[in-house]
Amino acid sequence: MIQVFHVTKAFQRVVAVDDLSFELEQGGSLALWGSNGAGKTTMIRCLLGVFPFRGSVTVKGIDVKKHGKQARSFIGYVPQELAFHDDARLGASILFFARLRKVGREDAAVALDAVGLRGHERKRVRDLSGGMKQRLALAVALLADPPIIVLDEPTSNLDASGRGEVVESLARLRDAGKTLVFASHRPDEVVSLAERVIMMERGKLIRDTTPSKLWPAYAPVQTIRLYLSEGTDESAAAVLREAGHAVNLNGHGLCVSVSRNRKAEPVAVLAKASIIVRDFEVLEDIPADGNAGSEDLT
Amino acid sequence: MTRFLTILYALLAFVGVLTGQPVAAQNQAVDAIHSLIEQAEPGSVVHVPPGVYEGNLVIDKPIILEGGDQAIIDGLGQGSVVEIRAEGCTFRGFLVRNSASGVDREPSGIRVLAGNSTIENNRLEDVLFGIDLQNAPNSKVLNNEILGKDLGLARRGDGLRLWWSLGCTIKGNTVKGLRDMVFWYSEDLDVSDNRVSDSRYGLHFMYSHHTSVHDNNLSENAVGIYLMYSNTIDISHNTIRNNRGVSGYGIGLKDCDSITISSNALLANRVGIYVDNSPSAYDSTGLISDNMVAFNEIGLLATPITHNNIITHNAFLENEEQAAAHGGGNLSLNSFASDGIGNFWSDYAGYDKDGDGIGDIIHEPKSLFRSLIAREPNLRLFVHSPAQQAIELTARALPELNPKPIFVDPTPLTRVPDLTLPSDGQTTTGAPMGVLAVVLLTIACGSGWLVFRQQPFPNVLPTKVSHTIGRGRA
Amino acid sequence: MTTMAVQPGRTESGAHLSRIGCILAFARREFRDAVSSRWFLLYTIAFTVLAVAVSFMSLAGSGSQGFAGFGRTTAGLLNLIMLVVPLMALIAGAGSIAGERERGTLLYVLAQPVSRVEVLLGKYVGLAAALCCSMCIGFGLSAGALAWRAGSVGIGAYVMLIVLTCGLALAMLSVGMLLSVVSRRSGVATGLGLFAWLVLVFLSDLGLMAGTIIFKLRVQEIFALGIANPLQAFKMAVIVNMNASLDVLGPVGMYASQTYGRTLPWLLASVLVIWAIVPLLIALIVFKKRGSI
Repeated sequence: MIQVFHVTKAFQRVVAVDDLSFELEQGGSLALWGSNGAGKTTMIRCLLGVFPFRGSVTVKGIDVKKHGKQARSFIGYVPQELAFHDDARLGASILFFARLRKVGREDAAVALDAVGLRGHERKRVRDLSGGMKQRLALAVALLADPPIIVLDEPTSNLDASGRGEVVESLARLRDAGKTLVFASHRPDEVVSLAERVIMMERGKLIRDTTPSKLWPAYAPVQTIRLYLSEGTDESAAAVLREAGHAVNLNGHGLCVSVSRNRKAEPVAVLAKASIIVRDFEVLEDIPADGNAGSEDLT
Repeated sequence: MTRFLTILYALLAFVGVLTGQPVAAQNQAVDAIHSLIEQAEPGSVVHVPPGVYEGNLVIDKPIILEGGDQAIIDGLGQGSVVEIRAEGCTFRGFLVRNSASGVDREPSGIRVLAGNSTIENNRLEDVLFGIDLQNAPNSKVLNNEILGKDLGLARRGDGLRLWWSLGCTIKGNTVKGLRDMVFWYSEDLDVSDNRVSDSRYGLHFMYSHHTSVHDNNLSENAVGIYLMYSNTIDISHNTIRNNRGVSGYGIGLKDCDSITISSNALLANRVGIYVDNSPSAYDSTGLISDNMVAFNEIGLLATPITHNNIITHNAFLENEEQAAAHGGGNLSLNSFASDGIGNFWSDYAGYDKDGDGIGDIIHEPKSLFRSLIAREPNLRLFVHSPAQQAIELTARALPELNPKPIFVDPTPLTRVPDLTLPSDGQTTTGAPMGVLAVVLLTIACGSGWLVFRQQPFPNVLPTKVSHTIGRGRA
Repeated sequence: MTTMAVQPGRTESGAHLSRIGCILAFARREFRDAVSSRWFLLYTIAFTVLAVAVSFMSLAGSGSQGFAGFGRTTAGLLNLIMLVVPLMALIAGAGSIAGERERGTLLYVLAQPVSRVEVLLGKYVGLAAALCCSMCIGFGLSAGALAWRAGSVGIGAYVMLIVLTCGLALAMLSVGMLLSVVSRRSGVATGLGLFAWLVLVFLSDLGLMAGTIIFKLRVQEIFALGIANPLQAFKMAVIVNMNASLDVLGPVGMYASQTYGRTLPWLLASVLVIWAIVPLLIALIVFKKRGSI
């Protein structure tokens, strides 16, 4: 799906990406992991072919340097922070990108629906919360249903609950068969989403491995579906959000994303608020054991 | 239908035979008219039947030749078409066409070689010279229309020429596309209500004195009126517009004494009034008053030696340069006010405290850029540009850069004087311009609407949602 | 790589259509942004008010006799146009790319399936349309004033004036976009735009005047140097169009009229066209080669 051969990119004298190569199969998910300034963002931009670089990148066999436009049509991109014109309205913004992606107004509406932003079309971009902006960016990235999603620190500007939301959305996309490439410096995201990690340092590839090898004892995020009494979904969601959990309401029930080692916490919180949990179910089962996670989602 | 037409034609032909008038005039030789003249008594009226007469007509008997607006005399491109040799002839109501075009013998539409002639209501087409009066005093040239050959200006002849013809009346003629309407050595003329356009000199006077030139309309010529070595001429109520040849004077004077220029409208010429050494006699004066001098490149242009002109009660309106001295210098030998009445200058920057219509400070225009142009004519390229404004502003800020004024009007008028001007005759409807305005505004608003119109965001059924990505807290 | 390689460029016409679609999408957005921005509103109002005022002032005092020099109005408008329109177009162009770069939106749009050429051309088209609309408002209301007070004398020349002014705006916009592409920050780009304005409107003319006086340049040299400046070319084109010759501009103008005759308007118009195309082309090349985001 994606092939990166000896990519090198230098800005004046600073080498941001130094002779990086990797390949990624369709449906794979890959994290570029490293500290700030390791060259993750630059690598992602090379992948998108937005500026010249040495080496080559092909996306579905298409050279991004020669046919960048076509290559990018297979990629949905989510930037670190949504960069829309602040004065523009949400509806107009997504329609603009819909036009660039050659999809119709209906698809734009579907995309907004999918990220729960319907009804906000008249809002100006500057009035959106960070989470809404990120969801809008996701909606844009998904406009033409591209096979590849590329994300640059997708959660860095979000609070904990927003982060959970995004991570969960991405997990669904991955499960739906999308190829995922993202830059991150948060181990929890990497563990939750990536099958493969490329560790970068000063532009160089240090290790090409899997999250479980990199953090064998790390507790990943799991999503729990709670089955509650009729009509208490809304109030339960409010209570959980109050407690700092990432909550997601859909037709089937209420989903909470928590770290593996804290699965009981939402139930306890709800119990305290006298909301009865009839049942719960763990949606994702990432094989990982241990409970020594020093970082978690909340 | 065709049968009906056939019958009609037959009937018409029959009527024609009865009345002796040819229906479809056969071209015939001009000798037909010669024989009519031969049979006529001197002083009698000779009616020329309708038709085309080919050849050169010579009138050598004092008669009144009447064309009834239906007789055509065609010179077949040979010589002058009509020549009048007898005194006291009247030539009226003809279409005269097709003179020779070589300039050497000066072929004319109508050549008049005898006095007391009247040339009236004729139309001349395709002629090298139009009407040419030589030694034909006390003649009248009235209401003729003269159209020239389609030739370059250098190869054209004069539309109307007087040569040693005193006391003539030239009135109501229209000349289009010839060289000059020119008066040589001819005095006591009345030149009025003529219309000259697309020619070289509208009216041109050479050594022709004591003449009144009024109510003419001269437009789109190289020069409107040009007077050379001609004295005591009264120029009034003429409309002189858009004469923009190389010299492009509305009215030009060279070495002329006792000239009065009053109540003319001088509009959009290269130069409104040009004065070169006039008056030339030391004790003579010229008067320029009550004129509307507007929208010309230069309103009044005079050589620096020009003196003794009185310029009063004119309106100098929005001329690119209101008054200038030709080749540098100033106009201080002339007076720009008479009896405390100056002129209206649209660029006057003073005020009128007591409201008497006369500005309280003198008008002495200074322009650094103008003085630069006077020194270096090539700089004229930069008129109409912001750089010119920048230079003027600089000069205003730094008074030591200020040049001397070109003239001084001690009592400038603060209101456009009420002038009795000739009516312009150019009345245009604002409709096309209004349509243009509407079109432009529609373009602007329409494209704004196209881009900004709000379409309702489509409603999509939930079933169409193909890839739900986890519902956030909407 | 296991999946089948997709052949680049499906069909020629399809690619062209997609290209035009992208350009129009950018043009539309740029038009929206421009029209709803404060500077644009300000310039439009200023231009309109001044244009209408000039029309009225030129007509005032000429009486009801229809003297109403259309030519005079044009001469007055000429100065105004040469000051305001280049400023407007240069600043608009200068802000276009540099502003997006500074806000970080440039990267985001470039990450979409679009090419840099499309982005730049789309912005150019959108801004050009916005500028032309702004001028249509000014000229439209001015035409209304003329229609009301002066009739329709010189309507043909007036239309040509509008066309030429739009040409001037396109040329200046093209220069502005070049400045925008080469500068990293929008402040720098705006500064460069102002400087370019100063140079084109004042300094080059003043310099040429000084050169004329000091070096005693010959008419053909002055003319050649003069029309290199798009503003001078514009001015001469307007005057030729109005008077059928450049004699008004003194010996240099007479030289031009005599030498080039009927081709002169075309020569002058082509100067504007060149100024509209060449800087934009350079901007395209720089934008593509440098790959700055």
